[in-house]
Amino acid sequence: MHVVALYWQAIVDGGGVDLELTAIAVAVSVVVGILAAVGRIYGGKLLGGAITVYVEIIRGLPPILQLFIIYFGLSQFQINLSSFSAGLLWLVLYGVGYAVEIFRAGIEAVSVGQREAADALGLTRVQALRRIILPQAWMVMLPSLMTFLVLQVKNTTLLYLVGIADIMYQARLGTSATEQPAIMYGMAAIAYLIINLTLSRIGSTLERRQALYR
Amino acid sequence: MSSDVVVDIQGLTKRFGPRTVFEDISFQVHRSEVVAVIGPSGAGKSTFIRCINYLHPFEAGRIRVLDHELVGGGGPPSKATLRQIRMQVGMAFQTFNLFPHLTALGNVMLGPMETKRVPASEARDKAMALLTSVGLADRAEAYPRRLSGGEQQRVAICRALAMDPEVMLFDEPTSMLDPEMVGEVLGTIRGLAAQGMTLILVTHEMQFAKEVADTVVVMADGRVVETGPARDVLEHPTSERSRTFLTRVLKPLEAAGDGQASGPGATTALGGDHP
Repeated sequence: MHVVALYWQAIVDGGGVDLELTAIAVAVSVVVGILAAVGRIYGGKLLGGAITVYVEIIRGLPPILQLFIIYFGLSQFQINLSSFSAGLLWLVLYGVGYAVEIFRAGIEAVSVGQREAADALGLTRVQALRRIILPQAWMVMLPSLMTFLVLQVKNTTLLYLVGIADIMYQARLGTSATEQPAIMYGMAAIAYLIINLTLSRIGSTLERRQALYR
Repeated sequence: MSSDVVVDIQGLTKRFGPRTVFEDISFQVHRSEVVAVIGPSGAGKSTFIRCINYLHPFEAGRIRVLDHELVGGGGPPSKATLRQIRMQVGMAFQTFNLFPHLTALGNVMLGPMETKRVPASEARDKAMALLTSVGLADRAEAYPRRLSGGEQQRVAICRALAMDPEVMLFDEPTSMLDPEMVGEVLGTIRGLAAQGMTLILVTHEMQFAKEVADTVVVMADGRVVETGPARDVLEHPTSERSRTFLTRVLKPLEAAGDGQASGPGATTALGGDHP
């Protein structure tokens, strides 16, 4: 079992890379996703339509193909992104495509009466969104947002294909060096489980707290 | 237009697509006047009252609230005008529409803090004073789901009052309430009238309208069919349409008995116009 002792540090390092990429990508795609969702709902035909087309493209294309277009495809136009930049860019672009729909559904789930009450008080649209609509949309969206977070962690496994040293990359490297795939991939699996189970626990704690005034 | 006119409505017309909801409605509301808008369901009363703070746009006519005017037809009003009007016009809804993620106190504090940048401590003091005045001081920290319907509506009225409105709109404020809670909400509205607040309310509470309103406006089939001092209109309606309506709501058993053999009790139940 000395293989485990030898490689666990590499797996932990890979986990760090995965978490870093996920954290940055999710943070950016949540912010952009809120703006895009607001644009899709209130932005009229042109902006709303453009955002809809974007969502359809992201959802319609296989993830690996998107990643390869960004990393390999763009290089033909002398746009040479580093592995890390390309991986992060893809996670963000992909994440925005999903976050838009989550936020749109959440915002639209808030009742018309709430909007009217905010209007009747004289709140601006931004004030109403910040104080009334998004806090309530948040309750509706929390489960989908947690699913989205876990999905993005799992999506980082694809990034070894462009040479990012994540958990998957380390496990493959270890496998070729040791010829013990069961142990190496087993360690990778445990690492992913630890990350995603922790996220799920945080998610259900948040949901329980929110449920208090629901 | 005399100087104490708070709301001046001229030729107001509302259409949903090809359907005309109401047409050519005009009347003025003076300071401290209490106006009850009554009429059969589907007469457009709620839509009408929602036009006053532009929750619904309208196709023709104009509404002046003090110094600000909304004009129908020519596109939406400027954001500044809309905000000014909405800050001067408070509203209580049929379904209360409290913000469920905020406590009773938070609901009442929100308007002034957001729209007028009132500091939190000041907004809190004022909100507590308002909640105390409607007997809800001990419910200040409760979330709406923990409040009864009557309590929710009283909090909603406080939320609107926190903005120091010039006029309050009530859109059927008691029609979603259990009967035993109607009184507490009507009591709150009666208190506002006594303090000289200008009120426009859509209501089915005829007895309340008779006691509290100065003026009654009867809407039917998308028009104002009668308007005048509350007692005159409710007791001696001159228009045929309002007579029919008032007979139905004030003496439902008699109206139902039209064309039927009068059942037992049909005549004895007509002792008066119960709320």
